[in-house]
Amino acid sequence: MNRGPTRREVGVGLALAGGVGLRWRPAAAQTKEVRVAMIAPLSGPWARQGQLMRMGADMAIEEINQKGGIQALGGAKLVLVVADAGDSTEKAKNAAQRLLAQDPDLVGGTGAWLSSFTLAVTEVTERMQLPILTLSYSDLITGRGFKYVFQTSPTAGHQAAETLPTALKLAEGATGKRPKTVGILMDNTAAPTSFAKPLREGGLEKLGLKLVVDQVFTPPLSDATPLIEKVRSARPDFLLLLLSAMPDNKLVLEKLDEFKLSKGRLPLVGNGSPLGTPELKNTIGADLLEGLLFSVADWPFKGDEEIVERFKKRTNEPWMTQDGITAYGDMWILKEAVERAGAADRLKVADALRTMNLTTGPAALSFPGPIQFDGNGRRVDVPMIFAQWQNGVPVTVFPPELALAKPYWLKEA
Amino acid sequence: MRASAQTRQRWVILAVAVAVLVVSLALHSAYYQLVLTQVLLWAVLSLAWNILSGYSGYFSFGHAAFWGLGAYTVALGMIYWDLPPWVGIPLGAVVGGIAGAIIGYPTFRLRGHYFALAMLAYPLATLYVFQWLGYQEISLPMRRDAPILYMQFTDPRAYVVLALGLLVIALVVSLHVENSRFGMALRAIKQNEPAAEAAGIPTWAWKMRAIMLSGALAGMAGGLYAVVLLVVTPESVFGMLVSAQPLILALFGGVGTLWGPVIGAAVLVPLAEGLNGELGDVLPGIQGVVYGVAIIVIILCAPEGLYWRLRDRFAKPGVLRIIEDEPRPTMPVKPAALLRPPSGGNLLVLRGVGISFGGLRALDDIDLVVREGSLHGIIGPNGAGKTTLFNVVNGFLAPDRGSISFTGIPLAGLRPSRVCRLGIGRTFQVVRAFSRMTVLDNVIVGAFVGARDDVSAERMARVALDRVGLIDRAGAVAGGLTTRELRLMELARALAPLPRLLLLDETLAGLGQEDLAGILNVIRQIRDEGVTVLIIEHTMQAMVRLVDEFSVLDHGRLIAAGAPDEIVRDRRVIEAYLGRRWMDRITDTAA
Repeated sequence: MNRGPTRREVGVGLALAGGVGLRWRPAAAQTKEVRVAMIAPLSGPWARQGQLMRMGADMAIEEINQKGGIQALGGAKLVLVVADAGDSTEKAKNAAQRLLAQDPDLVGGTGAWLSSFTLAVTEVTERMQLPILTLSYSDLITGRGFKYVFQTSPTAGHQAAETLPTALKLAEGATGKRPKTVGILMDNTAAPTSFAKPLREGGLEKLGLKLVVDQVFTPPLSDATPLIEKVRSARPDFLLLLLSAMPDNKLVLEKLDEFKLSKGRLPLVGNGSPLGTPELKNTIGADLLEGLLFSVADWPFKGDEEIVERFKKRTNEPWMTQDGITAYGDMWILKEAVERAGAADRLKVADALRTMNLTTGPAALSFPGPIQFDGNGRRVDVPMIFAQWQNGVPVTVFPPELALAKPYWLKEA
Repeated sequence: MRASAQTRQRWVILAVAVAVLVVSLALHSAYYQLVLTQVLLWAVLSLAWNILSGYSGYFSFGHAAFWGLGAYTVALGMIYWDLPPWVGIPLGAVVGGIAGAIIGYPTFRLRGHYFALAMLAYPLATLYVFQWLGYQEISLPMRRDAPILYMQFTDPRAYVVLALGLLVIALVVSLHVENSRFGMALRAIKQNEPAAEAAGIPTWAWKMRAIMLSGALAGMAGGLYAVVLLVVTPESVFGMLVSAQPLILALFGGVGTLWGPVIGAAVLVPLAEGLNGELGDVLPGIQGVVYGVAIIVIILCAPEGLYWRLRDRFAKPGVLRIIEDEPRPTMPVKPAALLRPPSGGNLLVLRGVGISFGGLRALDDIDLVVREGSLHGIIGPNGAGKTTLFNVVNGFLAPDRGSISFTGIPLAGLRPSRVCRLGIGRTFQVVRAFSRMTVLDNVIVGAFVGARDDVSAERMARVALDRVGLIDRAGAVAGGLTTRELRLMELARALAPLPRLLLLDETLAGLGQEDLAGILNVIRQIRDEGVTVLIIEHTMQAMVRLVDEFSVLDHGRLIAAGAPDEIVRDRRVIEAYLGRRWMDRITDTAA
């Protein structure tokens, strides 16, 4: 695609004059290319996550084209079209509508990181029958009876249900003993509340766990001492940490260290990819994070070493997180779907997505479990992954067949 | 004049609506239709904001509260009760109106920055409430079975038409407000709330009506926003950006004008969206910078908003000329007071009135009787308590002790607007003009109290201006008047509703000899027409020529009362004014 800076400048000028300039685009038909979209927040509070997604997607597109593009279409190149979802659902929806208006040839896409953005974006793509892959968790995304949205992550409900049983398996595997007691330390924001609700309402009992300390606070936390004192005196076999804000994480981990409960002396279990970002390490320090376990929808695992190496070299990122690896995988899934569809046609691509069952190749390597979607667009047979901070890096430690390192549950001081 | 302007504006609204429809038909891209819909919806929110904040000057940083409640009303109604948006959106307006009442009731105790900051709290608090209720992300169900009933059209132009419908409603409502006593009252409140209250405007009631109307319009637009966006989250409808948007659009286009918010939305919403589209994937975040710079540049070039800038450039200087063309009121309606022969009975009676500020007794045990038809002067040195006495009578201050009655009706505990309604008008020591309104409009504000409708208010205002001899200046803006003209205008404002008693607070202060004589004549004439006048002054000389009766205040006490020639010889009065040594000299000379 040829988009010279002059035209862009003219476009900006037009926009400044109060008009909305759709970018002029030469007809795509004669050049052999297949266009896919990425709608992600590239500005605003979630910009970093969107940029990581873009890095992963760019890398996949480059690899696909280097290896000869779409074979079924005579080596057509895969082209990524990016739109900024910004910082609001309105902007995310506009971005989707704009992409579809200016790019009628799109065959599929990925987006939009934040659940509420994905909900708004898929309202547009569903009506335009554009298949969209998403890493967002919300159950609602695939709970609306939509036909053109494919959720690569286990839903939030599934993650909440699977995290503790998986943690128990991990503990049993590592120590030979099944934990009997648990503590919960959480803030009262939305995600932790909905995560913990089924656990308190009989979920723990079913797992044979006794809740010995249960502390809920309203963020921000000013002093973690009273909370950690209670944890220390109750001394649970492990502590479920459900905190949504970075400063609270820092306070709690510091206080745990002060009370000599950190570094694996009291096993800590959390949920979600924010617990494995480089920024967390920069803020909190590798020392305090050591031993922290977290369940996550996707994390680079055994077999991905090469992908991760290439990614680190390209981007200078210290490691690859969920955002990068899923966007990378999404591009490969779309590539496979186009190959199977045999045409740059979004309806056929959507059909191919519904029927595919990938267990090998770069797409399958990017996600735990097979790439297969049910009627709602949710993946089937997805194991819960656990990563653990070991020596300053969060590495996949469970399930064993995907693990890059052995987990440790308890580490005696 | 006003009616013809209103008709002209109606045609403009119609023309704009037709233009939007034509543009919408011409646009083929669903994306352009979506942006056009958003322009219209944000314009409605900004107009809603303008009704409260633009006209009354009570700046709201919290209109997201109404917008969000409207959005959630439609979304939750549809999810839980299968409520079609055709019902949900009007219901959203009702919810917005009720929210306006609930928010306005406590918040109107505050003014200025404090009001603005308090308003900020409501959407933020509501945001957390909706999170806590578990409505973090709700999505309007897709209803393929009844798309029209549930406003789920495949043709995006349908949303443009719906949003345009709301905009026309908002414009017509705003136009009506602007050209009625509603808008006049709000503008008076914006420029000088105490003066408005003293002129008989029930300020609290108008402010409540304004916030309820504003909330209803905002709730209505928020409801359609939910239908268009299909996903509602607390951040997207109660967030800070939503509250800021109507304010930015109105400031940009012109606060307190009918078209300002529309201009703001028509320029800024597509600009922001265009920048997102053009730059969002190239230099993410730069769009915000360019948007901010564009706003700064335009605000610097047109600080009062684009509307005034455009009007100054293109509009013909129409308003003033129209007023000058207006014929003089040929046959002044006879003031009602003239028809009432002065009875000479007791009109205003104060018994044992006292008020203290901390340790200072500003008024102490005042007994005062003002006879109907008299011209009663109150004199005393600075700080004697004269203005405080007026404030107690007209309701700005509540006395600690004693009773006040007017034509036998007790005044204690009444708001100034009620007191004014009973027939007591007043002017102020420092003229409280609505400085950006015309002389005529200033006086019309005062006339509302005594007028059945807006037309008769204008007629009464003209009569009052004629009575004080200021009718030739009716079209001038109050900010440009001389001191004499300002005094006369304030006099006309107090006189317009045909009060029985006028309280004049140092009306003569700061006037030259010639001006003074003119105003004295006007006051005498007013008295001769049957209006009782109570006047404060501390220059004795002018008063002696004017009044029938004197009361003298000193240190909050009434030290003497009687006819002018008695008072000037009263020892206590001379002592109060000139000091004991002067008194001694007078006594020596006499001896």
